[in-house]
Amino acid sequence: MIDIFQILSMPFVLRALIGILLIAVIASTSGSFLVFRGLSFLASGVAHAALGGAALGLFLQYSGLAPWFDPILGALLFSTLVAIVTGYAGESGIAQKMEVAVGVSFALSMSIAVFLMYYIPPTQVPQIWGYLIGDILLLDNLDVVLLGGTAVFLLLLVLIFNKEFVYVSVDMDGSIAHGLNARFYHYVMLIASALAIAVATKAVGAILVYAILVAPAAASNEVVSSVRGVILGVFCIALLSELAGLAASFAMQVSPSAVAGILAAFSYIVAMQIRRRRRRKLSASPESPLTDLGDIVAPTQGCDHCDEHHDSP
Amino acid sequence: MRYPNGELALYDVTFKVASPTFMAIIGPNGSGKSTFLKAALGLIRPSAGRVSTLGHDSVRESAKIRKLVRYVPQRDRIELSVPIHVRDIALMGRLLKKSPPRIASSKDKKAALDALEQVNMAAMWDRPFNELSGGQRQRVLVARALASDGPLLILDEPLAGTDAESQSLIVKALHEHYTHNNVNVVMVTHDLNPIHVVVRDVLLLRNTVIGIGQPCEVMDPELLKAAYGPGARIVEYGGHRYCVTHDSGFDRHD
Repeated sequence: MIDIFQILSMPFVLRALIGILLIAVIASTSGSFLVFRGLSFLASGVAHAALGGAALGLFLQYSGLAPWFDPILGALLFSTLVAIVTGYAGESGIAQKMEVAVGVSFALSMSIAVFLMYYIPPTQVPQIWGYLIGDILLLDNLDVVLLGGTAVFLLLLVLIFNKEFVYVSVDMDGSIAHGLNARFYHYVMLIASALAIAVATKAVGAILVYAILVAPAAASNEVVSSVRGVILGVFCIALLSELAGLAASFAMQVSPSAVAGILAAFSYIVAMQIRRRRRRKLSASPESPLTDLGDIVAPTQGCDHCDEHHDSP
Repeated sequence: MRYPNGELALYDVTFKVASPTFMAIIGPNGSGKSTFLKAALGLIRPSAGRVSTLGHDSVRESAKIRKLVRYVPQRDRIELSVPIHVRDIALMGRLLKKSPPRIASSKDKKAALDALEQVNMAAMWDRPFNELSGGQRQRVLVARALASDGPLLILDEPLAGTDAESQSLIVKALHEHYTHNNVNVVMVTHDLNPIHVVVRDVLLLRNTVIGIGQPCEVMDPELLKAAYGPGARIVEYGGHRYCVTHDSGFDRHD
């Protein structure tokens, strides 16, 4: 027991625990809405854009063009650009168009990163790759402060505008037609998520960000039938996966991010099984809406009388 | 008015109908029916000329128009991956016309419940929307419009892909709403037959106005052939005219 208390009181472990809590908040507020909008790919797209932006920052610093330009500024800038391009492609609310925009931004950002690496001192290049493979145990105080600010900002945003975000996700055209400034909320949602992903990527690395932002939200959305419930479910799955990863890293020689990622992905597989079983039970129930097969998918011009009395031309 | 791919969707669309009206807009696939509605709502801009809805310019005064209209989009535009309930959809039309934080009052809830009652969906109040059948979802979307306020109700294909029971409930609810509330109901449909005895005006489109008038006037073999081609015909049965056009489904022009 003494050993555990000693471990928990170590500054880097404390920072990791706080980081885990904050990443779970970011995942539940941002990841849930990304999955609602069919935009889970945005997490990986933005994380790679952050990498490209960090490369630009380092290039500007070491080339002397803008010594003040911190790599995190580049990461935030590129992430915002990805969100804007994605938002522009998806102004009509069609997820497939946004996924394509994310894919193109992803490719562009990685190309820029690799292009700039040739002009950055080789000793600094690992700093860029650090954006991909971070570690929750290597958080510094600045990371914790940035994560804390991002988590509080996202939490407030979702508390205040959760209805607007839901309406934009469910029915973009209908929301606009009823008077909502849907495009504003559409961009706020995407830019806030992109900034959060960039900050989280800088702090804990892209691998953990993919895993924790997408898999728990996808799992929670499979089994929970309310927006609030999904958000809470994501928080719990993300927190437990990360804590388990951290605990495992103390018990054996493993990366906490990798264990958290595996557990989070596993939660999605379990959730799919739970949903499948539920649907089977529901289908078997005589009162189930799933047994209502009365809806005609593509009716012919619906005049039964004509069919009875006249041949079709 | 053009489709997103640049093709001409509508031109020279000028007609008059007395208000309040219950109007059906019919026409073959790609005839500009949904484009007409979206232009009226200011969701798309005319490439030339102007569109005026309830006396307001659809581009410059779209905010004023949106305070006055209620809209039911094509059902497949509703994203089903969001876990919301029937009550949330039914309340949505009213809450969207409020300012944040858009809290539902008891009056809002009563209006939503009454509207769901009209389409026989009140018992589903707490059901997840994405677990309903297609026809049930369509009825809830119509209830969303019925529960909201505004003198113009616009519906895009509310009967497409629904069974006879849903069609009957939707048509009855819309007709009662039109009759008792002095509102205009404008709906795009592929199928005039389920509604031709309740609508007052019919607009027949094929990228321009082919016909406008009462259902029996528009159900003219020559007009229908001009819109749908030589295969279209009129059948009379039980004192009513029915059109056979072999046209169905949703139109999408993303």
